[in-house]
Amino acid sequence: MMQTAIAILKKDLRMEFRSKESILAMWIFSLLIFVIFNFTFEVSRLVMLEIAPGLLWVAFVFSGMFGLNQSFSLEKENGNLRAMALMPVDGGQIYVGKFLSVTIIMLMFEALIFPIFIIFYDLQLSLGMFKLVPVLLAGTIGFTSLGTILSAVAVHTRNQQILLSLLLWPLVSPIIIWSVTLTGMILSNQVTEAFYPLLLRVGAFDVIFFTLSYMLFDFVLED
Amino acid sequence: MDVPALEVSGVSKDFGRIIALRSVTFAVQSGEFVSVLGRNGAGKTTLLNVISGISRPSDGSVKLFGTDPNDRVNKAQLAVISHEMFLYGNLTALENLEYYSRIYNVPDAKNRIDTVLQDVELKHRRFDLVATYSRGMTQRLTIARALLHEPKLLLLDEPFTGLDQHAIGMLITLLKKQKEMGRTILLTTHDLHTAAILSDRYLVISKHKIVRDGWMKNSSPDEIRAAFFSAEAGENDS
Repeated sequence: MMQTAIAILKKDLRMEFRSKESILAMWIFSLLIFVIFNFTFEVSRLVMLEIAPGLLWVAFVFSGMFGLNQSFSLEKENGNLRAMALMPVDGGQIYVGKFLSVTIIMLMFEALIFPIFIIFYDLQLSLGMFKLVPVLLAGTIGFTSLGTILSAVAVHTRNQQILLSLLLWPLVSPIIIWSVTLTGMILSNQVTEAFYPLLLRVGAFDVIFFTLSYMLFDFVLED
Repeated sequence: MDVPALEVSGVSKDFGRIIALRSVTFAVQSGEFVSVLGRNGAGKTTLLNVISGISRPSDGSVKLFGTDPNDRVNKAQLAVISHEMFLYGNLTALENLEYYSRIYNVPDAKNRIDTVLQDVELKHRRFDLVATYSRGMTQRLTIARALLHEPKLLLLDEPFTGLDQHAIGMLITLLKKQKEMGRTILLTTHDLHTAAILSDRYLVISKHKIVRDGWMKNSSPDEIRAAFFSAEAGENDS
């Protein structure tokens, strides 16, 4: 049943590893954000700890937008989006394949940029930072599960990037805000009892976004 | 009587105020090779999009092998060749075909890929990126991709556009072979000569509707040409 999703995932990852187009562009973009913020604002370490989680997610999300746009632009080239609509498979499988590829590429980018973030903002590495793993996973999955379907909608239009931003931001904002809060708790080493319920809430949104997108993807592929 | 491979009944399609098809009705029996002739903008591509299920008709219905074109079994029996490649430039020919063979669940995929690459004379270039191919080579690979899963119904949308004489000759040979194998083929073109060589039957589409439906064997080239150009003249007059 997952054969199509795996075929799409393998194809996308193979193309990405060959060109490194998305990851490289996302990485450079995030690096620029960190450099600009680091050298523009001379603030105390305490203030830096306040703004660092937001900065990290700004970098993730803006770069993620690039990844999402890139993912379906590749499909639009040479009519491959049309080829997808002709495939003898459930649209949900195509969605899962694209969702997995976008998510894996974004997580790889996050793994590559996070050490730079630590160095730039002089953050202390500790075991507590491992709590970031579920936060990054949940936040990223929420962003990409919704972003994948909206990117497929936007790719049919002339102003693809603008439309994707307009559709995605309002819907994904709660997940990003909660992810920033959770990241802030971890970076400032102040994980309270509110941490797990909030993480669970992000996870619940992930499940809702994923399920709805999976069910609706067939309609998105039609002309 | 057998269920037609393709049945188009009263299909209309509009995009807001723009009318693309008006009450198009025809049927194609299994094994028939039908050419749809018409000038640019007559509605040929829209007709193929509706038949393939990419586009929903505004009115009327389409049946492939007696059922809905969006039925998964039908989709597996269908292949579309158009001016769009349906290929990834950043993958090799082999990788593209492996990808499609997984999607279409092609049995004994390795041998099948070898066969189709041999048929289009691209086996020696199978490890090269598609982005490095010429237009003719890309179109040949497009044909290989379409034939990979051995479809029962082939929809061809102006497949000769941009091809050199060698590639056109190869495509004609391949299509004749597909016809001999009993595949049903629907070709849209404005090239009367090629249509006459390949088809059993022709439909002339003008002003978004079918204005002529005839058999090649019963029509002289002059008659077909007259039908095509009178339709064109009609469009120009309107």
